[in-house]
Amino acid sequence: MRMLDLKLLRDLRGMKGQTAATALVMACGLALMVIAGATHTTLETVRDGYYRDTAFADIFCELKRAPVYVESAVAGVDGVALVETGVKGAGVLDLPGFREPVSCLVNSLPAGRDRRLNAILLRSGRLPDDGGRDEAVVNEAFAKAHGFELGDSLDVTLHGARRRLRICGLAISPEHVIEIPPGGLLPDPLRFAILWMSERELSQALGLSGAFNTLAVRLSPGANAEDVKAEIDRLLLPYGGLSAFDRGRHGSARLVNDEIEQLKSLGVLFPAVFLGVAAFMTSASLTRLVKLQREQIAQMKAFGYSSLAAALHYLKFAVVPVLLGTVLGGVFGVWGAAAMIPIYQSVFNLPMLSIRLDWGSLLPAMAASALVTFLGVLGAVRHAASLPPAEAMRPEPPVDYSPSFLEKLGVHRLTSPSFRIALRNLERRPWQSFFTALGLAFAAAIPVFPGVMADGLDYLVDFQWGMSQRQDATVTFVEPLGAEALPALLRIPGVMDREPFRTVPALVRSGHAERSVAVFGMPAAQRLQRILDTKGEIVPLPASGLLLSATLADVLRLSPGDRVRVEVREGHRPVIDAAVAGVVTDYSGLGAYMEIGALRRLLGEEGTVNGANLVVDETRWDDFWRSVKGLPALATVYAAASERESFIRTTVEMVGMQQTLYYFFSLVVAFGVIYNGARIALSERARSLATLRVLGFTRREATAILLFELGLLTFIATGPGLLLGTYLTKLLLNMANTEAVRLPFVLQSKTYIIAVLNVLFSTLCSFAAVHGKIARLDLLSALKSAE
Amino acid sequence: MTERGAPLFRARGITKVYNPGTEAEVRALDGIDLDLFDGELAVLLGASGSGKSTLLNIIGGLDSPTDGALFFRELELSGADDRELTLYRRRVTGFVFQWYNLIPSLTARENVALVTEIADDPMTPEEALELVDLSDRMDHFPSQLSGGQQQRVAIARAIAKRPEVLLCDEPTGALDVNTGITVLEAVEKVNRELGTLVLLITHNSVISEMAARVISLSAGRIQSIHENESRAPACALSW
Repeated sequence: MRMLDLKLLRDLRGMKGQTAATALVMACGLALMVIAGATHTTLETVRDGYYRDTAFADIFCELKRAPVYVESAVAGVDGVALVETGVKGAGVLDLPGFREPVSCLVNSLPAGRDRRLNAILLRSGRLPDDGGRDEAVVNEAFAKAHGFELGDSLDVTLHGARRRLRICGLAISPEHVIEIPPGGLLPDPLRFAILWMSERELSQALGLSGAFNTLAVRLSPGANAEDVKAEIDRLLLPYGGLSAFDRGRHGSARLVNDEIEQLKSLGVLFPAVFLGVAAFMTSASLTRLVKLQREQIAQMKAFGYSSLAAALHYLKFAVVPVLLGTVLGGVFGVWGAAAMIPIYQSVFNLPMLSIRLDWGSLLPAMAASALVTFLGVLGAVRHAASLPPAEAMRPEPPVDYSPSFLEKLGVHRLTSPSFRIALRNLERRPWQSFFTALGLAFAAAIPVFPGVMADGLDYLVDFQWGMSQRQDATVTFVEPLGAEALPALLRIPGVMDREPFRTVPALVRSGHAERSVAVFGMPAAQRLQRILDTKGEIVPLPASGLLLSATLADVLRLSPGDRVRVEVREGHRPVIDAAVAGVVTDYSGLGAYMEIGALRRLLGEEGTVNGANLVVDETRWDDFWRSVKGLPALATVYAAASERESFIRTTVEMVGMQQTLYYFFSLVVAFGVIYNGARIALSERARSLATLRVLGFTRREATAILLFELGLLTFIATGPGLLLGTYLTKLLLNMANTEAVRLPFVLQSKTYIIAVLNVLFSTLCSFAAVHGKIARLDLLSALKSAE
Repeated sequence: MTERGAPLFRARGITKVYNPGTEAEVRALDGIDLDLFDGELAVLLGASGSGKSTLLNIIGGLDSPTDGALFFRELELSGADDRELTLYRRRVTGFVFQWYNLIPSLTARENVALVTEIADDPMTPEEALELVDLSDRMDHFPSQLSGGQQQRVAIARAIAKRPEVLLCDEPTGALDVNTGITVLEAVEKVNRELGTLVLLITHNSVISEMAARVISLSAGRIQSIHENESRAPACALSW
């Protein structure tokens, strides 16, 4: 081994704590990058392959009922390569041993062939026999949640008639990668099922023989999707067609896409912070090292080593933490991604997710982190290279101190000498102080994100099931019913009160922006379901006009007082220009609300309802469930408590894991930055420290003076760090919030307290580690050396 | 021998061995017997490696002997633990080193105040600096002071707590003659005006002329203890 490399190894042994701390911070950044990158690449690759293999369609449309010959008209539209039609309908399952009725969506499978578009992927069993009756394929998640196996029976009520189906296969479908039950916020495989039956049988059951009510289209290459959608809308208008939409508006496809996009943004922001902090740490310790080794550098040069050799030698000090950080980060990252992917597997119904590393973006990222580190140490390395031997042989000129800025203001009269030592050291090296403080600020900032997320979810639960929805259960009807349905609801055992609603699908438009939404008509009294503003106050429903959710108003660029075009897609399809009466808060989907009477007048109806919110006597739930299971007019029945419990169960695991991860990362950054700073301070001031000990200062008092300056920086950095965390969290939430799901920004003092405690804990740990070093400090040799 | 009363320090058989039992074993001190008395100015004279610094460090509570007994009044330093030695240094000793070891980020006055803050009955930093004739340099930082001035600040810092013993380890070693003399004058003044026991180590025999007693060390043993008939004032020294 060359002597210089031997020196490198020996010197590194003395700096192993700092090298390890730097490598760890770097590893955190790279690990986050690998986790987010691998997860998003895995999801994206598997999804794309899955969509391709199952011929996932480009355009979708639902309609009331069209004769099968209309299909060929759609096939003839310019730009359409392939059409697949089918039927679908809502049903209710009555599962033995499960007291609530379970809603399901039943789709058709063409006879004697695979679907041309949106094929299902069988995980076990087979498709329904052409001739065999009463067979169904069931979605795998639902079967798993309830423990159903092939050959088991299901009692389903379809279009008012109850029948028994035998499970002949378990499958997943590209249309239902992530499936959120109507009215829900998250997937709930216990309470929502997807079934596939033979088209002949399902059409009969739904009264749609010789007709279809759903349509999917594959576009020809180069086709204009907007033109095709407009043409389909025109063709299907007489058949009760809702607006045609593309993958961007497809419920499942959009949610999957949102998740992948979120992972992409998460994979950039935090890793950048970690890598920046690590680069600074390397730079600070290397700058110190070069100063300490002035004389050694001079000797090397005096022996005839070139400036380049000296520069390369010191550059190698930076290579070690980079290599160590890269390996550690890679291992952590792959391990973390392997732990994350099963969680995604449980939410996304995709074929087997096997981890895929995104080398294409990972390698440049690693190169970038190495580059940033090298740029950070460039100053120190250049200094080492440019030292003329004669100058370097002399000890460094004494440091010129002067009274600090604060002292000139007269503050020093209030402060002790130890405080002044700290203040002057900070002022003498403003950049090092600034970057140390910045690192600490980030350490304080990181835990704000998971804190806000957890509190946001808590608030969401409280908002959704406490403030906004005060009903115990919600029922929807298979078809809109007349006014007589309401008294009938009160005859269901246990029902004490009911509040009706009427919803219609509609296209809302303003300028070029348009969205398909359900307009929700509800009584002005808002006794059970209530519409709230950001402060949680009830927003009164206007006698005419609409209330829009803030997100919808945003998408359509509308403010209260503006007018919006509403094209109803039901009945005689009225089109009106309605006033936007107000903007309200909600956290999922795009809501539009009207007073129920106004909506009925718009539809030309009287007293119609789609469903109702109910108050149920808590002692009579069993009677209630038994009774509703036998009511064929009901399409869905949901208990608010079950929805709430399912939501909490699903989110707790994911949030818990993220919280642990971020707290850990924050601890590492704070520990790394403080420990590195303390080691540098110790090496710079070993002599002062020894002097203090000789003067009779106890070890603790001497340590306190040394660490006071870092304590001061921690103190100074924490406040701005919390603000920085708040800002970054808002940025991340903005990136993560979508039209489908939004998380409110809820900041509670406990988030800040935890962040501060996190930083304090790391600070104390690194102080304890440095205190140990001070205990072992050799007083005499520190004092005997020349300055 | 003049009448001196009970000694302030009593050393009996002090031995210090570094790396005992190894090939690198060094016997720095080998059975030192020595008494030091209140108010005297004693010089430890010896060549490099004679063990004088080791002895000074043990007397100052910076190091412990391998063998033997050392008493400061009734307090046995030879068996004291780190906490006791810290307290001892805080209350009893003042140190001056060859390298001044001032805190670079504190002014002269503040360097002295660093000690007066933790002492029981200190003089004010101003008084201490006045004693070493630095009243006009009190608010200067170390980097703004000459070597001699820095060493005098170090002396002021050492004596500000009114120590019972002032230990000086080659205080002029890094200074030229004239500057060295001003530093020795300050040491002499402290001994005379405050009556502090001063133990000064040097390899420069000229300096020993200002001492009442000269203790010569060689190879870790006391070669001789010589009492000066008449002490030369520091200002009369020259080397």
